[in-house]
Amino acid sequence: MLFLVAAGLQLVFGVQKILNLACGSFYALGAYTGVSVVTWALGWGLPAPLFVLPLLAGGLALAALGPPLERLLRTIYDRDESFQLLLTFALVLMFEDVIRFVWGPAPVQLRGSYLAYGQVTVVGTTVPVYNLVVMLAGALIAVGMGWVLTRTRFGRIVRATAENREMAAALGVNMHRVYRRVFTLGVVLGTVGGALVIPATAAVSEMAIEVIVEAFAVVVIGGLGSMRGAAVGALIVGLLKAGAIATWPEVEMLAIYLVVIGVLVLRPAGLFARATP
Amino acid sequence: MRTTRRHFLALSAGAAAVAAARLDFAPAFAQSAPVRLGVLAAKAGVLAPVGESGLRGVQWATDRINAAGGILGRKIELVIEEESSPKDTVERFRKLALQDKVEVVTGAISTGVGLALGPVAEEMKTIWLAWDATTQKGVEETMPKPKYSFRSTDNECEAVMGSILTARQWKGKFKTVAGINPDYSYGRDNWAAFLAIMKKYGIELSVVSELWPKLGATDFTAHVAALQQAKPDLIFSCFWAGDTPIFMKQAHGAGLTKSTKFVLTTGGGVHESLKKDFTPEGAILGYNCFYFEYARASALAKEFTRWHQEKFKEWPNYESDHGYFTIAAYKAAVERAARAAGGKWPTQDAVIQALEGVEAESLSGPRRYREDHIMEATFFQGVTTHKNKHDFVTIDPVETMTTKQIQKPSGVGLYDWINGWKV
Repeated sequence: MLFLVAAGLQLVFGVQKILNLACGSFYALGAYTGVSVVTWALGWGLPAPLFVLPLLAGGLALAALGPPLERLLRTIYDRDESFQLLLTFALVLMFEDVIRFVWGPAPVQLRGSYLAYGQVTVVGTTVPVYNLVVMLAGALIAVGMGWVLTRTRFGRIVRATAENREMAAALGVNMHRVYRRVFTLGVVLGTVGGALVIPATAAVSEMAIEVIVEAFAVVVIGGLGSMRGAAVGALIVGLLKAGAIATWPEVEMLAIYLVVIGVLVLRPAGLFARATP
Repeated sequence: MRTTRRHFLALSAGAAAVAAARLDFAPAFAQSAPVRLGVLAAKAGVLAPVGESGLRGVQWATDRINAAGGILGRKIELVIEEESSPKDTVERFRKLALQDKVEVVTGAISTGVGLALGPVAEEMKTIWLAWDATTQKGVEETMPKPKYSFRSTDNECEAVMGSILTARQWKGKFKTVAGINPDYSYGRDNWAAFLAIMKKYGIELSVVSELWPKLGATDFTAHVAALQQAKPDLIFSCFWAGDTPIFMKQAHGAGLTKSTKFVLTTGGGVHESLKKDFTPEGAILGYNCFYFEYARASALAKEFTRWHQEKFKEWPNYESDHGYFTIAAYKAAVERAARAAGGKWPTQDAVIQALEGVEAESLSGPRRYREDHIMEATFFQGVTTHKNKHDFVTIDPVETMTTKQIQKPSGVGLYDWINGWKV
């Protein structure tokens, strides 16, 4: 799921050159909305195994947040990066308050859906089937994104804009529209990520900050603005964490940041960075 | 009657004289002016639910006292500020003391904030009644002999009680243990206390996994995988926030709850989130010093629980009781000191003296402040059950222990005290 948030961050940065801290808030909002929507749908008699449908619908519906937020960010496209960080961090804090206002300060969770698909035992280890569903969904979204970006007209325009925004504009690309769409896509990646993860966890108001920190590690390792980097970075961070916890739990955080430092020193632009002009 | 000019002048002069007189005699009126009381309640992040809960207890206590005429006829007026980082919270404490001129400050949960507030309370000469925020080592360093700070019960009380229950219930029935505790003083201290007590009870065990996720973590799949590999007979955890249900849910998903024994010393703080779907029966679960369904609860506790449930649609947890007790203790101390002073509002020094050893009725029965400014209370833990009307686990039977049994006495080191037990 880290991949989805990191991918959203990458996409928005790659195209709009905006470092969007609020991607963590989209993740949190997706999680909270997922809980509400699914609880409501189950209350109306939806069969339990179908809970993923309203879950995804909730995540997708939050796309509505994209355009107005993009309009707000438009005011700082040409400013210094510090303005972007300030504004998007302000958004993080505001969303945290909104979440507390709507859902209250206590952890919120989905009832009974985590094991709706049962458990399987693979090589002596029991895993809920839902975990596999989430992995599959992550992989599908990654492939889908790859397809959209490389095979469709929209993807070509997005890539062209990422390469050279003035040239793309000069060739008649409507910048505002591209930005709006890309930003909304970034939002949806975050909200769907949050929605998908919620059956396995509980939504807490501080989850936004936590995921931002990890997403940044992913992005630094993978390389800013690179989709493949997001996927590989997320994989590295996930495996490192699991490996560290299984062998030497004390170094869980340290291991990730050692890799971050290593990448910064040896390949400052990240493993999959585009050649910088 | 028509108001003539002369008449008007006379009236104004009279009014001015009265106003002047009021200013002159202001101290004499102070008795009926409200008592201003500062509250530091966390509102954001991982502490938010706990801060909210403490604030509810304070508000309920205040409303009750005010409805009954206040403290010696003075109503309580709350000035509520937020507990956040140590630095900001210290600023707000100063603001409460200097600008709002509060007579006492109640609140603070975070250990880091508590360590910073202690010296400031002494410096500002403002009484501070903490809700929690009491890690031992740090407190001994920054507040060796506090005059103005009154602290909560020791951090380790819950681990001590949980460990005693573990030894009583499962001695000889487990060999391998794993700990998963938040990576800061609270988690570290509790895990160390657990191991020390197991040793004291002569339980031979091997630690197969020690996990330290950071406070507020929301994903434990990797930790659960490590626990699956380590295959402990018993898992000890002092998680107290949103991490508790998440960990239990993921542990259940991986099949860990089938045969492993769980000791959750502090999970009762988020008891409503421990749903039956994933929290097993037969685990030891601690509620700190307030259990909402205690059969022998006082009328006061029942009234509070009912009010809380009707107003917030939630069953209350221990932090409300900490908040409630600080207000009740302050009232009792003022009244005690006033009796000694012939009914007049006592000086601050007299109030502090009266707080030392003061006893007051809290929601969990009588509580008091020890002479060394540490709280004494009753703790509630028990074995989880699904047999209740809720969708979350409760405990049955309910065990209670007082701080006389599970808190180190004044002036003794924790481990010296544990080693001196007769078991």
